[in-house]
Amino acid sequence: MISAVQHRPLSASDLQAILDVTKALAEPFDLTTMLNEVVAAAKQVLQAERGSVWLYDEPNGELVLEVATGIKPVRVPWQSGLVGACARSRRIINVPDCYADARFDPRVDKASGYRTRCMLTLPLVDHKNVLVGVMQVLNKIGGAFDADDEALAAALAAQCAVALQRVRMTGALIEGEKMRQALEMAREVQMSTLPGTMPVVPGYDVGATFLPADLTGGDTYDVAMLDQGLLVVLGDATGHGIAPALSVTQMQAMLRMAFRLGADLETAYLQLNNRLADTLAADRFITAFIGLLDPRTHALRFHSGGQGPILRYRAVSADFERFKPTSFPLGAMQIPALRGAISVTMQPGDILVLVSDGIYEQENADGEPFGEARVTSIVAAHRDESATALLARIVGAVRGFSAGTPQADDMTIVLLKRDAPELAQTFERRIDAIGAMVTFTGDAFGRLAIDARLRTRVDLAVEELFTNMVKYGRGSAPVTLGLRAVEGGVEVTLIDRDVEPFDIRRAPDVDIGKPIEEREPGGLGLHLVKRLADRVDYAYALQTRESRTTLRFTVAGLDEGRRGSQGRGSHAVD
Amino acid sequence: MLSIEKAQDGKVVIAGRLDAAEAASAQTFLDRIDGTVTLDCAGLDYISSAGLGVLLKTQKRLLAANGKLRLAGLRPHLLDIFTYSGFDQLFEIERAS
Repeated sequence: MISAVQHRPLSASDLQAILDVTKALAEPFDLTTMLNEVVAAAKQVLQAERGSVWLYDEPNGELVLEVATGIKPVRVPWQSGLVGACARSRRIINVPDCYADARFDPRVDKASGYRTRCMLTLPLVDHKNVLVGVMQVLNKIGGAFDADDEALAAALAAQCAVALQRVRMTGALIEGEKMRQALEMAREVQMSTLPGTMPVVPGYDVGATFLPADLTGGDTYDVAMLDQGLLVVLGDATGHGIAPALSVTQMQAMLRMAFRLGADLETAYLQLNNRLADTLAADRFITAFIGLLDPRTHALRFHSGGQGPILRYRAVSADFERFKPTSFPLGAMQIPALRGAISVTMQPGDILVLVSDGIYEQENADGEPFGEARVTSIVAAHRDESATALLARIVGAVRGFSAGTPQADDMTIVLLKRDAPELAQTFERRIDAIGAMVTFTGDAFGRLAIDARLRTRVDLAVEELFTNMVKYGRGSAPVTLGLRAVEGGVEVTLIDRDVEPFDIRRAPDVDIGKPIEEREPGGLGLHLVKRLADRVDYAYALQTRESRTTLRFTVAGLDEGRRGSQGRGSHAVD
Repeated sequence: MLSIEKAQDGKVVIAGRLDAAEAASAQTFLDRIDGTVTLDCAGLDYISSAGLGVLLKTQKRLLAANGKLRLAGLRPHLLDIFTYSGFDQLFEIERAS
């Protein structure tokens, strides 16, 4: 027979019993203790001989009876038998004579030797109407369970359900917290191996960034100046959880150690692979780019274990060279014989682009990956910008692309950029050389892809400085004009030889507020140069009597409005 | 290169680059104009302080004779130069539309 929950108001003594139980149920925070408390409470309140609790395992669609510690729990499909009927209907089932009821399964009795006479089966439903499990109370002392017991049981069941659910959720939280802490620690170790600052490499601009995913990922990078050259590493360990973070940390340490001990690229790579093959779990490996650059000869030699694509932007042809890995991922198995490293010469303006698959594979809301083409188009479009600026552009583009989609994997970028060439030409010290200088500047703007909006300012500065040199310089040595692309603009250098020092930053300013009668053209040119340049630097070499003025113009400076007349910059005499 | 010539409507049309190398020829031309003259700068690509000096000298001369030089069609990238040199206060400048 199935009875509706709640029959009559509870008596004062009933309420007292339930309150006592509630107090007891507030204490435990582990499931075993709580189950014992619940059963003890049921036995006490309902004056029953025995009790048991089946917990609802929703993902598996089963009801689970924790029999005793150390014994495998009993699992039944959640539709079967009396407990199943109770779970489905969420109503109390009162069976006064079990052996007369077809739904009763006597096998448990047979196994335990206990005889069940009568039984109350109660649904445990918490205050959010979530089925937590089913409680069974057996053999009322001195009789069968009646309607009053059912009412009491209903009130008790509600308390038990809430208490059990609390313990289960707390347990899940504790487990999650433990995992989170372990992960956090592994991540801290992983992050601690990343270089704090980028080394200063003459003739190069190096940048790297690492954006950890929330939960998992095993990226790493390294950029360090060693005896063997500039070490450049980007690695990505497979797997989830804390293992990848620890694997790449191990790789970093091994690699640094090998190089510190004087290993060359091949030896370091081979040893690293073979040691990782020994120590990593069979299903784990690390994809990695490991390269050494000689900043004097610009020779870059590298091995790549499954890390790719490796991209080199070639300034001369404005395209990308794409390299495949030289071997399988590190640690996958022993390498009997290593193929030769790939060797490239970094030309002026070339950029080595190393990007982890966390970027290539980051998806947008439509499930489309960011891909390689987006990376290359950003690098090509902004090749003249600094490595730091390029990194920010790529990161910004990925973030914009994936807006709203969580970051699935670590994202790492390493950029190695050889300084763009300075285009320079020497001109005779004569006013009519201005035409040739303008032609040269125009050509340089095209070749260095400098924003054409800066052209007027550059032309003006060159002309003003040059005419000044021609007018006041006593020598006859030619003047050198050099242009170099810099972040967002251009740097212009004028070198005047065999002259007295002349720092235009110290040239007097023109009072532009004077009435026209008092205005004179003199000094106006240098005044304009100081106003129009973002930055003016000056250096004088005593030995060669060489006067060097360096001006910087950027697109940002175009919009900046009036500048202070002194400009910004530094002064050096060497 | 610089070209400077008088148009039929009386305006003086200047085009190209008014730099130190061209300043002298521009000065020679402007020394011959009188009264109130509009200098059509729509074709002017570039001007340096040498060019500004030519305009200043011309303006002083015309003002003394109750005339003036009016600048028209000056392109935005050259307006900076007029502003930073204070020349925007010495000339009536009709902005390019």
